[in-house]
Amino acid sequence: MFDRLFDSALLLSVVRATIPILLAAMGGLICERAGVFQISLEGTMLVGAFTAVSMSYVSGNAYVGVLCGMAAGVATSSLLAVGHVSRKGDPIVIGIAINLLAVGLTGFLLPQFFDLRGVFRDPAIVGLSTYALPGLSRIPVIGSALFQLTLPGYCAFLLVPLIWVLLFRTPVGLRLRGVGENAPAAQTRGVPVTTYQYAAVLISGALAGLAGAQLALGNVVQFSENMSAGRGWIAVVAVLLGQAHPLGVLAAAMLFGLAEGLGFRLQGNGLAVQITDALPWVVTLIALFIARKRFIRLLDLTGRAA
Amino acid sequence: MSSNVSIPDRFHATGGVTRAGHRFSAGLRSPVTVALVLSFGIAAVILLASGANPLTAYSEMWKGATTGAGPRTIIDRAIPIVGMALAISIPLRSGIINLGGEGQMVVGGLAAALTGIHMPGPAALVIIASFLAGTAAGVVWALLPALGQTAIQLPILITSLLLNAPARALTSYLVKYYFGDKTATSTTTVALPPHSRLPKLDWLFGGASATVLLIAVLVIAISLFNNRTAAGYQSFISGINLRFARYGGVHVTRQTVASMAVGGAIAGMVGAHLVLGQSGRFVDGDLAGSGFAWTGLLVCLLAVSRPVPILIAGAFFAALQVGGLAMQRNAGISGQLAQVLQAVVILALAMRVVPAVRRRRRGHAGSSGDLAIADEEPLGALRPDPVESDAGSAAPGIAAR
Amino acid sequence: MTEGAIELELRGITKQYPGVLANDAISMTVRSGEIHAIVGENGAGKSTLMSILFGLVAPDDGEILVRGERVQFKSALDAIASGLGMVHQAFQLFPTMTVADNVVYGHEPRRGWFIDRASSVRQVGDLAKSYGLGIDPSARIEHLRVGALQRVEILKALYRDARVLILDEPTAVLTPQERDGLFEVLRRLRADGRTILFITHKLNEVMAISDRVTVLRRGRVVHEVATSDTSPAELSIAMTGRSVDTSRRRAEHAVGASLLEVSHLRVDDADGIRRVDDVSLTVHEGEIVGVAGVTGSGQAELIEAIMGLRPVTDGTITLQGEDVVHLDLRGRRDAGLAYVPEDRHRVGSAALASTSQNLFMAYQWQRRFQRRGWLNRRAVERHARELIDTYDIKVAGPDQKVAELSGGNLQKVVVARELAHDAPVLIAEQPTRGVDVGASEFIHGQLVAHRDAGRGVLLVSAELWEILALSTTIFVMFDGRLVAQLDPHETDDVEIGLYMTGANEQQRVHT
Repeated sequence: MFDRLFDSALLLSVVRATIPILLAAMGGLICERAGVFQISLEGTMLVGAFTAVSMSYVSGNAYVGVLCGMAAGVATSSLLAVGHVSRKGDPIVIGIAINLLAVGLTGFLLPQFFDLRGVFRDPAIVGLSTYALPGLSRIPVIGSALFQLTLPGYCAFLLVPLIWVLLFRTPVGLRLRGVGENAPAAQTRGVPVTTYQYAAVLISGALAGLAGAQLALGNVVQFSENMSAGRGWIAVVAVLLGQAHPLGVLAAAMLFGLAEGLGFRLQGNGLAVQITDALPWVVTLIALFIARKRFIRLLDLTGRAA
Repeated sequence: MSSNVSIPDRFHATGGVTRAGHRFSAGLRSPVTVALVLSFGIAAVILLASGANPLTAYSEMWKGATTGAGPRTIIDRAIPIVGMALAISIPLRSGIINLGGEGQMVVGGLAAALTGIHMPGPAALVIIASFLAGTAAGVVWALLPALGQTAIQLPILITSLLLNAPARALTSYLVKYYFGDKTATSTTTVALPPHSRLPKLDWLFGGASATVLLIAVLVIAISLFNNRTAAGYQSFISGINLRFARYGGVHVTRQTVASMAVGGAIAGMVGAHLVLGQSGRFVDGDLAGSGFAWTGLLVCLLAVSRPVPILIAGAFFAALQVGGLAMQRNAGISGQLAQVLQAVVILALAMRVVPAVRRRRRGHAGSSGDLAIADEEPLGALRPDPVESDAGSAAPGIAAR
Repeated sequence: MTEGAIELELRGITKQYPGVLANDAISMTVRSGEIHAIVGENGAGKSTLMSILFGLVAPDDGEILVRGERVQFKSALDAIASGLGMVHQAFQLFPTMTVADNVVYGHEPRRGWFIDRASSVRQVGDLAKSYGLGIDPSARIEHLRVGALQRVEILKALYRDARVLILDEPTAVLTPQERDGLFEVLRRLRADGRTILFITHKLNEVMAISDRVTVLRRGRVVHEVATSDTSPAELSIAMTGRSVDTSRRRAEHAVGASLLEVSHLRVDDADGIRRVDDVSLTVHEGEIVGVAGVTGSGQAELIEAIMGLRPVTDGTITLQGEDVVHLDLRGRRDAGLAYVPEDRHRVGSAALASTSQNLFMAYQWQRRFQRRGWLNRRAVERHARELIDTYDIKVAGPDQKVAELSGGNLQKVVVARELAHDAPVLIAEQPTRGVDVGASEFIHGQLVAHRDAGRGVLLVSAELWEILALSTTIFVMFDGRLVAQLDPHETDDVEIGLYMTGANEQQRVHT
């Protein structure tokens, strides 16, 4: 049984499922560290995916698509930056509105620009190619899964150590963490809190946009309505579960990737699609249950700490 | 000692003759008005960018919403939107954000469908039982996150949302493998027998579903609850200052569970209505795909959880959607513009596009209690930090003396 | 004592807040290498002065000179750049970071793109060692005790090479042992030529550590003297001014049956620190029991425990003979408690609710306002109007939001609501803090009237004159314990002040 379940194809689908969640979650992590509650990852991802597909179609170059997707992500997240950091609006309401705006806007523009509904698939959309790392990709079982990825894919896994170093080894990271932990204290030490929070939100927008681009040009080569399908929300939970630590968030993202990849595989083995669809969500709930009592800050935020 | 306390000048402005004029101009300057104008402006830019003429688009929307079948379609659509907004308003008023309306609605819909299909007996009884079944299912689905928060401190905000997909999957699974119409190509239950369909009432807006009456009852009941009961008072206070509520003896845990349960019940009823009153069967993906739960959430935010404004805002959003669809049919412009408009209105309000300072300077002691979506700060009451320091303790970061 | 050069000079510093002249032309000089104490009662203007000195608040008038040079602080950063360092009462630290990271934050030693962690740990460790601060630079802040946190704050200032260290009520949170350790550190800093401004109202500490004392009262400098030339009694008189209105307590009333009995109460906080230690007191009919004490001596925890907002570790609370420890807050209110909380904004009111809604809190379940959950709106409105009239609350009407009320009027709303419960025992916590004179007198009159109606009042205040003017019995709380029970006829502010500041201690008091 396990021979048939766990093989390189499974590993590959786990890794592919992990990458978009990981990218978005890394953005959420930076925001969390800067003290900004970022729940608009879902919508930002969707906007990124749409823009990436459109621009790849128009330009015939996948990387133009990726860059435009990231730029669109930055633009989307600037709504949160302006609304919450500058104007002190409620981050939860702003986040929900951004998510719904993203669904509406992409759903509106798809037929307007391309005269079709539902799914946009076209040979003119150039997908992201994968690059095999010489030598490493030949390693049996894991080689083709781990060392034959798209550039955003490598980027996702490279970000984990990079962000770790940034947060815990550089002055910028130390200051960012201070901004999130005690903004007034950071301010009295001469650290520009607003600048840091803006930077964090905009970077999270770029990463969520990149996640969307990977989803629409890497995992598949198409755009379909609401194709982020909750991955941005799962990224939010991954940040909570991983306690905003890069390694913890990586582990959480891989757990959800595993649930999705395994679900995909089990579906192939005849398990009902409904069960496999629900699997990542149920895994998320179970993980939350196991890691409970770590979310006091969030409860404070919603005003209902016990 | 009374001499050194002066009543601020602003209160004199609301007396007598100036009041009507004041109210009118306040309405024009109200954040909601500004946000609406702004969102139509932004949508016009989007329309232009996508190659459509905004004037054509808006006139087609207007025509579609106001002529022909438009008004009746608006009512059909407003029922679930207003219902979901009411469902979400109950916990939101006490400060709880329930993102799980969709799941609560979907399980309610299936429970109602199964009851309506399988229960024998007189029509009225079957319909009532179906609604009750939908209500009960919605309650169960809402209690999961509520108890998760009160018993083990999992935030409702997250868990309620996470339960939406399992609700979709569970209902889909049950329909596909146990209760489905085996002859159909799609995943659906068989059609409800005609007697368990909800009647359309000819005398009601020319044939609207009987659920309109239920909505009316709910609006009245919730208004009465909010304004006339001790529990409604307590839920309002909890929503604006939880510590004050605790200090005043409010049982916050009990309140959290109860308000989630009632919200879930109403969401379940909406699910029941969509099956019994509209589609006549439970089609997998239909309820969740309708987006009513999310539109309802936006309506609730816009109306600051107050039932009568919810009615108005819900009808308005339904009109936007109906107009959008008409525009799509007649002018070939995507009807999803309606969703864009809805989200931008809320976003503009949440981002406080209208500066708070100006609102504060304007006194409006006389206008509270107005039904209209008036000049309060919408969304501002969601999670305020009302502390303004007294003289002497104005230095931030320094403990008061 | 050697007369050093002038390190810091204030000339005519004035700060007006609405209704309060917080600083009234304050002038003072601080010499290099001295420990200079600034003392005064709550509200004397100490905190405002410190905020001005540290660039957090701009003065309306006056100037600051540092080493003879006129400076203007736009923010705390300017003050730090001028060599001032401040240790706040509320620590400004990052809990999940190490001591070293907290100290170097904002001015990290670098190696290329990275923080030179070895260097920062070494620098902070050396600094700590040289002043006997005894702190491990690698320890995480969240694992440290309060006393250690304070030393981290001092390290922060030293790391930025502060020549003048300002400590705001530094001993309020310390155990006696930690306090002695702090004093040792301060002496070392003085020996190193640094100047220390020490803000306190504990006179025993002033005597123990300072070289000079400046006394503030009602925003003015009323006394400046070398510590060796003065006594606690003299300072206490200067602080309080002896202008206490004692007229009210003359109208003595017969003390009746016991209403509230607290016996051997112990309260530990979430960290297991004992906040209330073996407290016993009784409030009788016709009595105002005053609990005096410096803020943070355990009064807040005592009151929260009595109200049911904080778990009791040990001991009993009985109300008119009924044990109420097992009851929740609502049950205790029903059993006969009403409560004016210290923080009227966060706890005592809801800014976005109307005056009527604020006046209604904790009445909502009462019979006369509801039947089976349905409110009698006429009764609610009548209740609001009655209270607004009776207590002379200045509002446009019952529908006005309390966010628009002045501090004094808001406090009247809170006091009116709680008094109108007509509960056998009213707990009033700092009932006139930050309230203008008129409202304050009014509130005092109401408390006395409540007493005269045969009710009991438990009055907690850090204001000595308030305690003296109103109480029929006075307890003094210090460090979680009741250290004295005094008869207002036989004591005065000087004696209370000595107990409050830990200079005197009676035998443990029980009633």
